[in-house]
Amino acid sequence: MSIDTAAAFDVTDYLRKQMMPHFLCPGCGHGMALRALLWAIHDLEIDKDALAVVSGIGCAGRLSAYIDANTFHVTHGRPIAYATGLALARPDLHVVVITGDGDCLAIGGNHLIHACRRNLKLTCLMLNNEVYGMTGGQVSPTTSQSRLTTTTPLGNAEPHFDACALATAAGAGFVGREVTRHVPKLKELIKAGLRHEGFAFIEILSDCTEIFGRKNEMGSSPEMMMRQKSELRPSAYRDTVDTPFRANDLPTGILARNDRPEYGAAYRSAAAAARNGAR
Amino acid sequence: MNVVSAMPAPAADVRLLSGNHACALAATAAGCRFFAGYPITPSSEIAERLSLELPKVDGVFVQMEDEIAAMAAVIGASMGGLKSMTATSGPGFSLKQENLGYAAGAEIPCVIVNVMRGGPSTGMPTRPSQADIMQARWGSHGDYPLIALAPASVREIYDETIRAFDLAELYRTPVVLLYDQVIAQLSETVALGAAHPRGRVERKWASGPAADYKPYAADGDAIPAMPLPGAGYRTHTTGLTHAEDGFPTQNPEAVTRNLSRLFSKLDGRRDAIDSWETIHCEDAEIVIVAIGISARAAMRAIEECRAKGVRAGLFRPVTLWPFPQAALREAAAKAKAVLVPEMNTGQLRLEVERVLAGAPVKGLNLFSGEAIAPAQIAASITALAKEVR
Amino acid sequence: MQGARTEIRIGGTGGQGLILCAKMLAAALAADGRRVAQSQTYEPTSRGGFCKADLVVSSGEVDFPLATAVDHLVLLDQLAVKPSWPLLKEGALVIADERLCPKLPPGDDSRHHLPISRTALELGSERVANMVALGALVALSGICARGRIEEAVRKATPRGFLHLNLDALAAGFSIAAEPIPAAAS
Repeated sequence: MSIDTAAAFDVTDYLRKQMMPHFLCPGCGHGMALRALLWAIHDLEIDKDALAVVSGIGCAGRLSAYIDANTFHVTHGRPIAYATGLALARPDLHVVVITGDGDCLAIGGNHLIHACRRNLKLTCLMLNNEVYGMTGGQVSPTTSQSRLTTTTPLGNAEPHFDACALATAAGAGFVGREVTRHVPKLKELIKAGLRHEGFAFIEILSDCTEIFGRKNEMGSSPEMMMRQKSELRPSAYRDTVDTPFRANDLPTGILARNDRPEYGAAYRSAAAAARNGAR
Repeated sequence: MNVVSAMPAPAADVRLLSGNHACALAATAAGCRFFAGYPITPSSEIAERLSLELPKVDGVFVQMEDEIAAMAAVIGASMGGLKSMTATSGPGFSLKQENLGYAAGAEIPCVIVNVMRGGPSTGMPTRPSQADIMQARWGSHGDYPLIALAPASVREIYDETIRAFDLAELYRTPVVLLYDQVIAQLSETVALGAAHPRGRVERKWASGPAADYKPYAADGDAIPAMPLPGAGYRTHTTGLTHAEDGFPTQNPEAVTRNLSRLFSKLDGRRDAIDSWETIHCEDAEIVIVAIGISARAAMRAIEECRAKGVRAGLFRPVTLWPFPQAALREAAAKAKAVLVPEMNTGQLRLEVERVLAGAPVKGLNLFSGEAIAPAQIAASITALAKEVR
Repeated sequence: MQGARTEIRIGGTGGQGLILCAKMLAAALAADGRRVAQSQTYEPTSRGGFCKADLVVSSGEVDFPLATAVDHLVLLDQLAVKPSWPLLKEGALVIADERLCPKLPPGDDSRHHLPISRTALELGSERVANMVALGALVALSGICARGRIEEAVRKATPRGFLHLNLDALAAGFSIAAEPIPAAAS
């Protein structure tokens, strides 16, 4: 834990020790994403009892089990929908969704766009490793074109989704992207997302070394990270929206922000007004 | 011109109410404080009414982006501690099965209303059917127990909705409320004031030290105490097969123990769960087994047959799943034959044949999108009586 | 087990107005202390096609809540005749619109061909034909007191349409009171 600059943060304070060792592959970026989330929770002094983490199915979905909080590992693609019910029922909780690129954009794509539109306060972390890792390495909605996977043996012919452009277009109150390599930057982005009064969508570019990297001869985890670096370009979200499917040129940081009313508060205030006869 | 009737003024609490509105009013009376749904005929009136009623009691109504999300949100809200419900019809019920299985496996209380319309697929949205009887029991994958209730009148929808919440909360199980389009959109005069003030059931919440707490460890009653988020337990809930500590396991003994407990939880409480009505079964040579609007047609048919000297009786399961088998065996013990009228090709009959193995069981099946008429049942009873005499 | 049973059907095309009329009558009868079951069938879309609304009225519990033997039949469109006629009781009251439902099969029913839609048009809106029919039905069947049905109409009508609806209801009572043409009686 010596790389932490904030001395007070000890990641083990936020982990379920009985679940260690974790099941992530060597070189997988998901552990860094988890670390950044827990660090952000720590920095914002969010009580673990007031933290609810809802995750879907896949490698990213398994992370909730490691977090010492109220955790819910739900069905494939549905964590945002479960979290919507939980957050509406319990506005006193901080509800965080952990999902993967397949979970969030393929089977759960409908829930994502409507959560962006509805703007209920939720913090959604989408860990993008470009592949269905848990099921053995099939093509996902974010797999780059021409990449090899177990279901694209001839190279992926489909264009990939730009998740941030999608979330922005759907009206998400907060949209950001970061890489697992920059844990402190990622932590700050997650903190900004957690503070946002509305739906916050954060895409975390992770790396799947063991399955996706190996299949595409992308080298070790550090080599994959360096490759990512060459493809990233911190910039304004306007570029993202204008050219949503441009490969190899991904802006990072906070990409979109708006102050649309938060859904839960708006619903409760309309209900209270109706109860008081103020309609 | 006829003489105008001069009836006494009615009791103040009698009102004209549709089945779907009765369901919505009963839900809030039962303590339901969360509803998530998606528009679908012929169940939408439940959502519409609750969108009006829930804000009055500080509850939450939300129309989700699809049927799947509605079921997921209901489970999410229930995990957050609220009594929660969704309502749908055939196509939507199919979509809900995925997360219904999660609620069964993770033992999250919730109520799912399925108003049966003609199928398969989009079928006949405005016409009645009773073809989801088996889906209600076996709709999601894997082995799991569940409770399904089948009310037959507007008043009974009110009472059974309240009972659905009570059973869901007490036994930590999804409860399906299953009724046909006729009853759903039928308006009847009902006296709600006479309804029993139930619906004050609270689920078993975890208490005591967090260090010793295991979310799926049940003491003698097979019902684990549920952790309320924020109360300090910080547990893990998963759709993976889990051990008593809530974490995933594939240990054969733990897996077996958990699923066995899940079944024993309901099996051990059949006295409280089973519910049925019998009419004239004591001396009946022909016993009719029916639910919903078909049971009400049977009631009229039985009166007509008895007037003509054919002794018919009715066994009406109110709790449909688990099927009240002991009660049926007793009701049909002296019958020469059993008739099962239903608006499908013979789903209830399959269960009746299983329960009364060997007894002569005949079906009366109408799947034209029309309710079975009393005269059709009376004719079948008469013919069957001749056959077995 | 149930008391004397009276069945009423209003048949026509369209849907919402006709069903609303049936609901008003059901409310009037419920206010009278009667047990009522009111049902309808309609097509998936909101407008067009055969539509019916049925009432089963009883002094005790209603066992089977759908129509099986109709005592009072209102026909607002020729389309409604075929599906309704087989349910007609002997000597039933039949009220048919003379313009939109001119042809009735032979029978021993007590039939009244009335200018329902014409009266509605004279009042300014064909849409109140349902209300005219309701007035005629209550007048000819005596199913409830005029005050009861007026009260139910008042409760269920948006304020902007109240006068029109009450006028239409009254017109229904008037056309019912006129002598029945000899050929139809």
